[in-house]
Amino acid sequence: MSLRRLRTLILREIRATLRDPFTLFVLVAVPLGSLLAFGFVVSTEVEGIPLGVFDGARSELSRRIVAELTTHPAFEARSYVRRDELSSALINGDIGVGIIIPSDFERARARSASGDEPAQIQLLYDGAEAVLAANAEGFLRGITAAALREHAGADIGIARVEAAASMTAAGGGVGSSVRVLFNPTLDGRPYMVAGTFGFVLSFLTTLITAVSIVNERIGGTFEQLQLTPATSLEIVLGKLLPLGAVFSFDVLVMMLAASWVLDAWPSGSALLFWSIASFYVVTSLAMGLIFSATSATAAEAVQKTVLFSIPLVQLSGFVYPIRNMPEPVQWVSMILPATHFINVSRSIYLRGEGVAELWPEMLVIVGFGIALVVLARRTLESRE
Amino acid sequence: MVKGLRTMWTNVWAVAFKEGALMRRDKVLIGVSVVQPIMFLFLFGVALTSKPANVPWIVLDQSQSSYSRRLIAEVQASGYFLPARTVASYDDGHGMLHRGEALALVVVPHDFHRDVLRGRGEVQILLDGADPLSAARIGAYIRAIAASVAMGREQLAAAPAPVELRQRFLFNHTLDDRHFLLASLAGMLLTNVTLSLAAFGLVAEREEGTYEQMLSLPTTPLEIVLGKLLPTVFLCYAVLVLAILLPGLAFGIWPAGSLFALALFTLPFVLASLGLGVFVSTLAATVAQAIFISVFFIMPSFVLSGAMMPHQLMPDVPRHIGALMPLRWYQIGIRRIITRGGGLDDVVVPFLALSGFFALMLVFIRLRSRPRLA
Repeated sequence: MSLRRLRTLILREIRATLRDPFTLFVLVAVPLGSLLAFGFVVSTEVEGIPLGVFDGARSELSRRIVAELTTHPAFEARSYVRRDELSSALINGDIGVGIIIPSDFERARARSASGDEPAQIQLLYDGAEAVLAANAEGFLRGITAAALREHAGADIGIARVEAAASMTAAGGGVGSSVRVLFNPTLDGRPYMVAGTFGFVLSFLTTLITAVSIVNERIGGTFEQLQLTPATSLEIVLGKLLPLGAVFSFDVLVMMLAASWVLDAWPSGSALLFWSIASFYVVTSLAMGLIFSATSATAAEAVQKTVLFSIPLVQLSGFVYPIRNMPEPVQWVSMILPATHFINVSRSIYLRGEGVAELWPEMLVIVGFGIALVVLARRTLESRE
Repeated sequence: MVKGLRTMWTNVWAVAFKEGALMRRDKVLIGVSVVQPIMFLFLFGVALTSKPANVPWIVLDQSQSSYSRRLIAEVQASGYFLPARTVASYDDGHGMLHRGEALALVVVPHDFHRDVLRGRGEVQILLDGADPLSAARIGAYIRAIAASVAMGREQLAAAPAPVELRQRFLFNHTLDDRHFLLASLAGMLLTNVTLSLAAFGLVAEREEGTYEQMLSLPTTPLEIVLGKLLPTVFLCYAVLVLAILLPGLAFGIWPAGSLFALALFTLPFVLASLGLGVFVSTLAATVAQAIFISVFFIMPSFVLSGAMMPHQLMPDVPRHIGALMPLRWYQIGIRRIITRGGGLDDVVVPFLALSGFFALMLVFIRLRSRPRLA
């Protein structure tokens, strides 16, 4: 391999890119925009869920419960005068959750003290918004149960109507104090930001590479390259290195933007993160090269990239935890390079881990990178 | 007059036939229209869920009593957790949480047995806050399980009046994320298909020069547009059928509401998305540009529209931006029909919003219309 030839190829690539300001803009703006969008938008704070309240009892206890729910930031409470109005609102999706305290609540409590059935409070959830409901469940149940315990000393039983074995009113239930470590404000942004780097550096980089290379192939300039004395490896590196440098600069910009706008900065070594991210970029670029080498049109390259990247990103633990997936799927997730990068990314951002703890994962990423570059070179060679 | 209409109709059919023939030969398009739904089905139906599973947790049992063992067993029985591991000291447990080896540490105090008999049993739950949503959910589960474990009842002197909290999850008994995600399947697939077809297709045609060829034919622009629309809309409805059949056949999730409403409601969405795609094509000079602009639109619309994560939880500004996207209105309406079992009258507002969007796109396209043979 000739370094002089490589340098010429790199310079050519740089000059070609500089001549097209749109591409440059895209190369920087799209990753940056995505990072901010995901990190900022996908707020993992549970706040302001519309809650419908029907208090038929209007007793001291029921008012206390309503007060606790109303003042809690997780909910935006609206009271309804009639039960069926609340039900309609729930069915329409105007409210996500509802609490119904029946008008005979206090009487039922008095009766149950003498051995009758326990008094009931109904908690209703809009199951169509499953994610929202699941998030709301913990809060609604917890706040209501806590309010009941505190203000009435009542024994609380939680019964799920549809469940086969319902846990009905039990005495002597165990209380608990909950403490969240490492993130007392429950700020989900560092977690999302670290994951978003994985998304951007997997999907967007591959896409941009695939498209720009396909364009060159259509334009015929790529064949011209292959006619020159440059070897396939030099051509591959001549494409990947300049693009990689641009994306590496991107990573820096994203890190700074995340810190400034989203307050998320690696708690470990920023330099380590940046180096690993820059190397990981090469992996994605090699994939983009492979996609474009095997496609006739830009549209085809895009579709291939999208088709491959969507599962890659989703199964990498970006949004949905890998641990929640069925076991066989978890195995698939382990053979994706993005999964390992996101692991490393989150370890550095959230836990401040360093090379001592991360070297196995880093080795895996390096391995993937080398394997893909070799594969890219072979794909190019077979097309000659 | 009648003859004029008939000519127009045959012209439209001619263009439609040509477009359809092209589409049938477009292997990429077919691959995408078939492969993507299956892929999404797998991802959203099987792989992805925010429902906790296989949660690693640890216990520091300082009481070693029958009550503490009972509590641990109850938590374990809920099925969310991996088998509990015990730690010998607080520092050990803290270290494991810090390294991410466990999500939750339950500390049972020394006097637990005695406290339970007195009706004051309490444990401490420490959570790894790195992923706050998971942490909050796991913490809430453990808390709820602890609160409902019947222990020491026999010993209690006076039994206070119990209260029962009954929970009901409407439309989705087991609270599966699957319902939520698969309901948006149609919207996401259609967004992909329409934007790709409209944006790439038109720009590619312009690049290849077949666009000018078409303009030189005796068909009027209106006929061309209608002719292109027909096979596209047909393909979209085929995708819609697929998006309904697949979740039904694979997971037994069928639309609860009116299929007719669903079919009718899809039309303004398809038109709005196609309009958006055509507008995008007027902004792009090359196919590469069209691709990037589309990605700019498709990606944020998946996130901001509320198709994959609840839009109600988003901060104000992004939420309002999301309201400008057709997919937002479509997924609101489609959830009303598919999951909540609604009909046409439930989706009036989204229907109008989408129609309005389509009209707006037509205006924009007209404004950006290039001269006939640039």
